[in-house]
Amino acid sequence: MSERMLPWEDLRQAIIVGQAARARELTELALAGGLAPAEFFPNAIVPAMDEVGRRMRDCEFFVPQVLIAARAARTVIDRLRPLLLQDAAAAAAGRVVCCTVQGDLHDIGKNIVAMMLESAGFAIVDLGTDVAPEQLVEAVRRHRPQLLAMSALLTTTMVNMKTAIDALAAARLRSGLKIMVGGAAVTESWARQIGADGYGPDAFAAVALARRLSLIAI
Amino acid sequence: MNGRERILCLLDGGKPDRLPFMPFTMMFAADYAGVLYLDYATDFRAHAEAQFRVVKGYDIDHVSVTSDPCCEASDCGAKVKYFPHQPPAIDEAHPLLSSREQLRGMSAPLPTEAASMRNRLRLIEQLKLGAGAEKLVEGWVEGPCAEAAGLRGLNNLMLDFFDAPEFIFELFDFVTEMALAFGRAQIAAGADLIGVGDAAASLVGPEFYEHFVWPFEQRLIAGLQAAGARTRLHICGNTRPLLAAIGRLGCDIVDLDSLAPLDQARREMGPRQVLLGNLDPVRVLCNGSPESVYAAIAECHRQAGGRFIVGAGCEVPRDTPSNNLLALARYAREHGAA
Repeated sequence: MSERMLPWEDLRQAIIVGQAARARELTELALAGGLAPAEFFPNAIVPAMDEVGRRMRDCEFFVPQVLIAARAARTVIDRLRPLLLQDAAAAAAGRVVCCTVQGDLHDIGKNIVAMMLESAGFAIVDLGTDVAPEQLVEAVRRHRPQLLAMSALLTTTMVNMKTAIDALAAARLRSGLKIMVGGAAVTESWARQIGADGYGPDAFAAVALARRLSLIAI
Repeated sequence: MNGRERILCLLDGGKPDRLPFMPFTMMFAADYAGVLYLDYATDFRAHAEAQFRVVKGYDIDHVSVTSDPCCEASDCGAKVKYFPHQPPAIDEAHPLLSSREQLRGMSAPLPTEAASMRNRLRLIEQLKLGAGAEKLVEGWVEGPCAEAAGLRGLNNLMLDFFDAPEFIFELFDFVTEMALAFGRAQIAAGADLIGVGDAAASLVGPEFYEHFVWPFEQRLIAGLQAAGARTRLHICGNTRPLLAAIGRLGCDIVDLDSLAPLDQARREMGPRQVLLGNLDPVRVLCNGSPESVYAAIAECHRQAGGRFIVGAGCEVPRDTPSNNLLALARYAREHGAA
């Protein structure tokens, strides 16, 4: 495929404005043209979602726009996934287990973070909401992620982040695992207090944090 | 002046003896009274007892029914999870309206017959009985965006703004009529003021807010006022881009979360609007000291200028040190409403 015909700009635009069908169509064309699946992340998906992040920070985009962009990105990723070796995809950026902690059923923040991380090239294991410490321990033991991302909206449930971290330490799974936390009630000082490795005030900060932590995860 | 007179005086354009004090106390009130939160949210007697104790302990000017954001949704049949020590929550993964078509077959529950709504009506009767004319009695309904999210699921609703805008109008119409019926029943039971909580509205941005949400919030506010109540709007989250539009709703009280600057709200809403708030509930009210709380609410007051009510930006967190809430009460007591 000649340089002039590369579809990256069109694909980036389709993702940014949330045109999932158009993004899928461009993906098919690019694959038929011989582009490698691994090229889609650095050339289209990651820069498109970084642009979505910029627009949200600048109050040009709000949650509905972010969600439809993430849905379009996921459409592309779903098409590429069978073509990418699972381990190769995970190795590209890292594997992340994410959840909303026990007692908390709020999932929109966690979902946006998961979709943004996926679009940034991380392999995601989403455990859902109201996740008990023992479920987390089991998931970390099974999936061996580099990162664990926990969300809590409420002051009443954020204490369960500490319970989960303590349970991971008791199960000897803490070393080598980087833990990031976020959610409306969570603060930087709370993250430090409970022994987390980082705090992200929003989904886009979470992506930057995950990139940084994954570089130093053992 | 008693608490009820103080609030009504300010809302009527007068100058009360001091600043009114109207914080949300939900889990804090339950803990203060030694009541299990599950009982507070589901048993009107436990709730009323806790409210009377907390308003007496902290010299609060109103009693409130806020406890359960799933009240209307659970009566519609939504799957709600109840916890012993925190408010009930919608099961987001299994929303009642998992498909948009289901709305057509739905009918709104009758407030006097449905379990959760009926409990709230009996609570208002109990609060009115105990408060008499001393404290203002605040009822509560969910706003159109929050209630729609409760029935449809927040994630689905956000995508519906793009995928099915006509459905959004139908759903908002349904929930607004339900809120009006519930609000009128609360007014009939003795509520002086109806709070409208529309948390999800802060997520959608100014364009969708103006187009989809604002007309229904406005219908709800106007309908509640026509039924004889004052109104208080509280939208959790960052409402900064929405402030001018919120100012045009005609609410008696705009209660701002801590992410929305009061000076900007005053500029955009004008000098007549009564503003309430808006300390950061976690970083300042819960984690601060009495001195920092006092200084922070003084700054809120400075930014809001006149026509101001003292309160936190959202619910008083349950672990808030007693002296911090007392500092907030002391500020209200020591300052006039001018």
